[in-house]
Amino acid sequence: MKKSFRAMFYTPYMMWLALFVIAPVGLIVYYSFFNISHQFTFDNYATFFRSGTYLTMTANSVLYAFLITLISLLISYPMALVISKLKHRDLWILLVILPTWINLLLKAYAFIGLLSHDGLVNNLFELVGLPAQHMLFTDTSFILVASYIQIPFMILPIYNSLTDISDSYIKASHDLGATNWQTLTKIIIPMTMPGIKSGVQIVFIPSLSLFMLSRLIGGNKIITLGTAVEEHFLTTMNWGMGSTIGVVLIISMVVVMLFTNTKRKRGRN
Amino acid sequence: MSKTIIELQHVYKKYDDFTALKDINFKLNQGEFYTLLGPSGCGKTTILQTIAGFTDATSGQVLFDGQKINDIPANKRQLNTVFQDYALFPNMNVFENVAFGLILHKVKKAEVAERVHDALKLVQLDQYANREISELSGGQKQRIAIARAIVNRPKVLLLDEPLSALDAKLRKDMQYELRSLQQNLGITFLFVTHDQEEALAMSDQIFVMNKGQILQKGDPVDIYDEPINHFVADFIGESNIIPGHMVRDYEVSFLGHTFECADAGMRPNEPVEVVIRPEDLVITTPEKGKLQVKVSTQLFRGDYYEILAYDMQDNEWLIHSTNATTDNAIIGLTFGPNDMHVMRYNETEAKFNSRLETYEE
Amino acid sequence: MSNRSSKLGKIYIVIIFLLLYMPILYLIIYSFSKGTTMTNFRGFSLTHYGELFHDKRMLAIFLDTILIALLSSVFSTIIGTLGALGISNAKRERSRQTLLSLNNILLVSPDVIMGASFLIFFTSLKVPLGFWSVLLSHIAFEIPIVVLMVLPRLDEMSPSLINAATDLGATSGQVLSRVVLPFIQPGIIAGFFMAITYSLDDFAVTFFVTGNGFTTLSVEIYSRARQGISLEINALAGIMFVFSLILVIVYYFIENHNLVSRRKKDKLGVANQ
Repeated sequence: MKKSFRAMFYTPYMMWLALFVIAPVGLIVYYSFFNISHQFTFDNYATFFRSGTYLTMTANSVLYAFLITLISLLISYPMALVISKLKHRDLWILLVILPTWINLLLKAYAFIGLLSHDGLVNNLFELVGLPAQHMLFTDTSFILVASYIQIPFMILPIYNSLTDISDSYIKASHDLGATNWQTLTKIIIPMTMPGIKSGVQIVFIPSLSLFMLSRLIGGNKIITLGTAVEEHFLTTMNWGMGSTIGVVLIISMVVVMLFTNTKRKRGRN
Repeated sequence: MSKTIIELQHVYKKYDDFTALKDINFKLNQGEFYTLLGPSGCGKTTILQTIAGFTDATSGQVLFDGQKINDIPANKRQLNTVFQDYALFPNMNVFENVAFGLILHKVKKAEVAERVHDALKLVQLDQYANREISELSGGQKQRIAIARAIVNRPKVLLLDEPLSALDAKLRKDMQYELRSLQQNLGITFLFVTHDQEEALAMSDQIFVMNKGQILQKGDPVDIYDEPINHFVADFIGESNIIPGHMVRDYEVSFLGHTFECADAGMRPNEPVEVVIRPEDLVITTPEKGKLQVKVSTQLFRGDYYEILAYDMQDNEWLIHSTNATTDNAIIGLTFGPNDMHVMRYNETEAKFNSRLETYEE
Repeated sequence: MSNRSSKLGKIYIVIIFLLLYMPILYLIIYSFSKGTTMTNFRGFSLTHYGELFHDKRMLAIFLDTILIALLSSVFSTIIGTLGALGISNAKRERSRQTLLSLNNILLVSPDVIMGASFLIFFTSLKVPLGFWSVLLSHIAFEIPIVVLMVLPRLDEMSPSLINAATDLGATSGQVLSRVVLPFIQPGIIAGFFMAITYSLDDFAVTFFVTGNGFTTLSVEIYSRARQGISLEINALAGIMFVFSLILVIVYYFIENHNLVSRRKKDKLGVANQ
């Protein structure tokens, strides 16, 4: 391919990389050093790391994200496992993914109805004889709703990993005397590690910064790093502080990615 | 009178840390079947790619019909390639694949149809014009790849190990087909393979290569009967190679015995290697044999028995015999003066050829 | 697998599927309710659907959302495909990995960060916040997924196909249009489809860059939901659900049809050997 032809080709993509990937990250880092009066300062970072509020908020966000990831993993893995053995598994997996095409907001909205004081869940409780619970605007409901939303995103990479495993590995395992449980724990789960890591990446990082969900379901009680960013940028207009929190989020994102990236094997082509 | 259609002069191909081709020189005449033969990594495909234009020579000239083509891009060179994995375009059917080159050169529709069908007839797949590529078997894909190349009437056809993916029977059939196709079309074929049987069967001339260099050029019989060195002798056919000394012209000594042989032109007592082909060794009694060996293993190959034996110095001997012998027996091997071929160490091809001329009829 | 564990498995999926679809079904059921809240179902009625179709503002927003989705997907598919071509042509493994990592940053970033950073970006460049900032943002976050859909197809393509086309006389442009693009077409289509999905679903990024005038469906639902329950939104959910269901069924049948005809061809091929 001629060099000039090639250059013309890749310019739009490279421009996008520069303008929308590199520049924005750069801008966030840049702004994190400015306070609300537009003076260059390290104050934002100082405030963040010294303040009990911010540190608690960070710890809480991490805890929420961890719980959400764990719950969705525990629910998704068996689900993916069962589906991968079904006859029309392609159709089933599509039906699992279908809910993701329903707008996120609508699903959150549904939960507002479901979990409200006179909502369906409480009605069911009453039927069974349990007292009506105050479910909206609590930690638990926030975590459960968030896990619900993330399940399809966790299932898909795990399912892809599972279907990639050749049947002959399972047969070899049984042939050598392993029970189903041993095959699962010693063969299948390790071999689907890339899928699990991928799923964790896709779920954990966004969960750190959920703000819409925390407002709708958690009310103003649940404050995550996400809600703090949103407030600083759109309400208090303290872009500096917002960016600082942004930098913290970016760094945690990189850390998670380092932990969960599967190294590609370096082989000869 | 054949004229030279392709010539390579002092072609080198160097990469950062390794040299793929070292001083390659050869001439290809019109209308002949040439084979580049050698093990993986010897550079044979690199030569093909340099001629086709997919890679540039680091130095040296590539001449086509007398003109230097180093700077002409691949899509403008008047030769065509048949690829190892056939490279048939999956989004087009058979007709569209074969017609691809013609359409690019703006040939008229009617002529395209005619030429495509002629090409398909030549490879005996005329009925397959409307098939999808995914419906074809390996052998059929290979023939379509050939049709797609020859329909453009190239002066030279380059073939990059096209038969390597086929099973044994199909390979043998295709060897016949390719040879007769080449002779019918009268164009030059440059065939690349690591299979020496294939090279011996189809070629007018073989270039044996190793580690980026051409070691020997010759017709199949010459290369088989008179390999220039250990590598060529070992690579082509089976051979027994034993170190020895050239006592004087026509007399060679190895394993403690002196034998009359058919080679000359070497220094007295020069260290040499002697090649004897397994099929030239005749099994006899230990007393009547020129050598005595002990049988180790026998394998039945269908048309002969392959017998592995060891002599007193633990040298390995391979014998082809129509009859089996007794396991672990001590047998005698006999052979004639013409069955031995003597090779010097580090002899260049030029010297080799001129030396042979001095005593061959 | 013993029968008991597969039965257990089946029960498990049924439960999870019920849980997955319950909120959606709940929404849809209540869209037909005569009442105004989601607490008591008061008889069957289509009033809310009527409300929806008379809500000019909502309809306008709906159209805007679809417009943004389609427009942004066209551009992101083009740029993403070009990017995938670039990445697959990268000579060194290192350059390729770097480009891929950069590509994936937007995919794994928290959308809050994306939204905030784009907001800073647009205001620094004095781009007005509204249709254009939303469009550009959508194009921006769709590109990585297009790349990830097209790249595997490109990697599958044997390089000898390009050599063969060149050998037969094709220029670079012809190689691209006649060989490469047709080969990767399924990836391009998948990328386009995913881009639309990401656009329709986005909330956070749009929320940050939308300014005061322009809005999309997600943002609008958020504002309305904050104010309380309106069953008109349920009606909207019903319509969107049916739409998605149709898409899934159509997609499944197209895929199946392709698979079946491909299998038939394979069988023919085997018979010919």
